[in-house]
Amino acid sequence: MITSTTDCGCESTLVAPAPLTTKDFRSDLKPIWCPGCGDYGVVTALYRALVAIGRPSHEIAFISGIGCSSRIPGYTTAYGFNTVHGRALPVAQGIKMANPDLLVLVAGGDGDGFSIGGGHVPHAIRRNLDLTYIVMDNHIYGLTKGQLSPTTPRGAKTSSSTYGSMEDPVNPLLYVLSYGAGFVAQGVPADMDGLAKMIEEAIRYPGFAFVNVQSPCITFGDPDDQLKIQKTKMRKLAAEGHDPSNWLRAMELAQDYGKELYTGVFYRNPNPPPTYDSQIRERQATLRPKVAAAG
Amino acid sequence: MLNDLIIGMAGSGGDGIVSAGESLISALAQDGYYAILTKSFGSQIRGGESSCRLRVASTPVLNPGGTLTVAVVLNWEDFLRFGGELPVGPGTVVIYEQKTKVAPDAIPLAVKPAIVRAVPMAELAMKSAGTLQAKNNVVLGLLAGWFGLARQSILEGLRKKFAKKGAEILQGNERAYAAGLDYADKNPLEGDWHFNPPQAGVGKRLITDGNELCASAALFAGCKFFGGYPITPATEIMQHLQRDIWKHGGSLLQAEDEIAGIAAVVGASFAGRKAMTATSGPGLSLKSEVMGLASLAELPLVCVNVQRGGPSTGLPTKSEQADLFAAAFSAHGDTVRPILAPISVEDMFGITVEAFNIAEQYQTPVIVLSDQEIAQRKDIVDPVDRSRFKLVERLEPTAAEMVDYTRFRLTESGISPLSHPGMKGGSYLAAGIEHNEHGDPCSSGEMHEQMNNKRLNKLNPLKQRRDLFLLEGDPTAEVGVISWGSIAGVALEAVRTARAQGLSVKLLIPKLLYPVAEEVYQDFFKSLRRCLVVEQSHQGQLHRIIRMWVNTPAEFTSLAKSGANPITPDDVLRRISAMTRATASA
Ligand SMILES: Cc1ncc(C[n+]2csc(CCOP(=O)(O)OP(=O)(O)O)c2C)c(N)n1
Ligand code: SF4
Repeated sequence: MITSTTDCGCESTLVAPAPLTTKDFRSDLKPIWCPGCGDYGVVTALYRALVAIGRPSHEIAFISGIGCSSRIPGYTTAYGFNTVHGRALPVAQGIKMANPDLLVLVAGGDGDGFSIGGGHVPHAIRRNLDLTYIVMDNHIYGLTKGQLSPTTPRGAKTSSSTYGSMEDPVNPLLYVLSYGAGFVAQGVPADMDGLAKMIEEAIRYPGFAFVNVQSPCITFGDPDDQLKIQKTKMRKLAAEGHDPSNWLRAMELAQDYGKELYTGVFYRNPNPPPTYDSQIRERQATLRPKVAAAG
Repeated sequence: MLNDLIIGMAGSGGDGIVSAGESLISALAQDGYYAILTKSFGSQIRGGESSCRLRVASTPVLNPGGTLTVAVVLNWEDFLRFGGELPVGPGTVVIYEQKTKVAPDAIPLAVKPAIVRAVPMAELAMKSAGTLQAKNNVVLGLLAGWFGLARQSILEGLRKKFAKKGAEILQGNERAYAAGLDYADKNPLEGDWHFNPPQAGVGKRLITDGNELCASAALFAGCKFFGGYPITPATEIMQHLQRDIWKHGGSLLQAEDEIAGIAAVVGASFAGRKAMTATSGPGLSLKSEVMGLASLAELPLVCVNVQRGGPSTGLPTKSEQADLFAAAFSAHGDTVRPILAPISVEDMFGITVEAFNIAEQYQTPVIVLSDQEIAQRKDIVDPVDRSRFKLVERLEPTAAEMVDYTRFRLTESGISPLSHPGMKGGSYLAAGIEHNEHGDPCSSGEMHEQMNNKRLNKLNPLKQRRDLFLLEGDPTAEVGVISWGSIAGVALEAVRTARAQGLSVKLLIPKLLYPVAEEVYQDFFKSLRRCLVVEQSHQGQLHRIIRMWVNTPAEFTSLAKSGANPITPDDVLRRISAMTRATASA
């Protein structure tokens, strides 16, 4: 009954047999996003990042919640799981705990992640399993046709706020930074190279990594918040001379969420603490032989 | 000579009454008896009133029993708070603390017990041990002396228990025990109150409870992941597992809430591992959406729900069987989730293994409806014979099936091979959205119908599992009883007593509650004119569910009480007699 810790069925995690291309990660399913939706850019950037990482798609589990953005796993060749609204992170953590050898990606909308699922985010961060969480932040509920989302700016008129929103938005960057996320970045589909690189870096970070993508909703979003305008508004953190190991400075810059469109890595912990999954392996390894010896 | 002895004791938290019950059951196990120990507390975390009941016999004990043989009262206020949980009858021996200053002919009980004894328990404790804390050992001495229970084994138990506390404390407690024995010897009870000695040559037995057996059964079944959130009376399942699951190559998550707990379980199952969660009523409500996901994505998982009084926070420390509707119907959409219920502490092992087997075989969430009584009462049981159980593993795709892998292929059995991340060629999209055979999102009515067919019909073979039903009694009887969960043990005793009295009656105990096995009930009903369903809920939930699916006998009645209102074998026996009379005179 005792099985070995590396029985995930993975062939090899170190040597990729042949160089992979984006085709290896694109599924046959045709996206049903509206033409011009920012999410197209996100999935393209992800394909590129996965090519760079080089893990075969069957060793990748890609988990999402519910929303337009949450459709993304279906457009990849990974093992996808389009779960229920707001619960992608806990499902993903169960997967990673059950099989730490897998590369686990999580994605969803700002509503999925910071409204209904908002309570799970701090716990995913403090637990620090090695996973990458991509939020497609469009400041609106896309799938249900344009209601207020937790990141909708105060005053915005939406299909559920005819007279303007009376609430302040959540600041996803501050949220995750203050709970101690080890890797925090923000990207825009308008900067495809930057976004792909950032996702790749997030995947390589050993621990919980967060990428907020300002991914415009062309159908229900603010016209001033679209791809073309992003290009003119974005300010690359690297060009601003930001040192991503400086957490306090990252917190300072993050306060400008909603005002300035910073892109790049806000924070990368220079000394990543042990991940939860590595501690699972250790505990299993130290406790296991005793059972074996006892028969 | 007594063959069946029921002791009920109550006091305030500091009196150590529950600890006395525990010492007694350990000694009885040592001596080869069978017993059930139930504990009951006020809702305070510490302190407050506490009580326990211990029923002992030399054959397996079916339930905690009804009227007490012996009532031990450390103070009357606390004792009376437990009301019907500690019923005194005309045959009961009442032993109470003299310090309560109640005269033996003025005790505050509605009935006149057989024997009433005021004992200076506190005084004996002070004199022998110098502390009131030794009162409970005086009580043990009285019980051992008057009823001939495990005299030597209790002493050995006390020695073990107090060994670490130093010689002084140990000797004090030994003296308190001896003082109780001495008092009993010097003041014998009128009549023969000695208990039958146990059968000779019995093997080693263990004292355990349903939560503990659930955890060990899960590990035996191959459970590799647990995700959950603490809630009374289910928490101990997680506590036991967190100690051991790592040794089996598994892991455990105490999640931020019940939703995250079951979501992680669904994740672990998707990743190819056997996985479970455990909760109680309020947690079950929270888990229902994610359980629906597991139904649609056809992912195996086990959800143990230890029932307590509800709705809402309800009676968190008391047993009830009122979550059957919630377990069966709280999923939205056309969903059937198999529901299993153990009938005793011992049965919890087999039912848990069965739950994993059904989950894995049929790729479905399975709910185990345990209840507080099974979960937390202590039973003396024979060691579980693990060779009795076969383990089922999920059907995985063959190499050929992974060439153009079709996750939800419509097969005859409705079961399609299930891959998991890491298997090359097995990639698919699991989702809560309706899908076609490949797993791609699909909203065609035709496909939805086919997939509903698949998900519901695949469970039909379960209804033929007659081994998940206990049948006892006269097959041609016109009077029948149905019962489930911990209350089934009460019905079983009543039916056996009725038959011993010459009544013709039979009993059906379903351990598979859902889907409703129509044929099993129909066969049972064939000879019946009258049938009674016995269960611990206000509405009589099984009674109603059976009527939804099966044509019942002309008189199909319910004996149902809300939690914390004991149903005793006598209650059931009276109803069987009444049904028998009515049938004879009709
Ligand atoms: C429990 C539950 N509540 C509500 C919904 C309806 N719903 C689906 S997606 C969604 C919000 C979508 O917004 P977001 O998460 O930001 O994703 P987007 O569609 O904008 O990408 C809502 C409210 C649901 N599916 N489940
Ligand atoms: S509604 Fe908005 S978020 Fe949804 S697909 Fe269309 S553009 Fe994208």
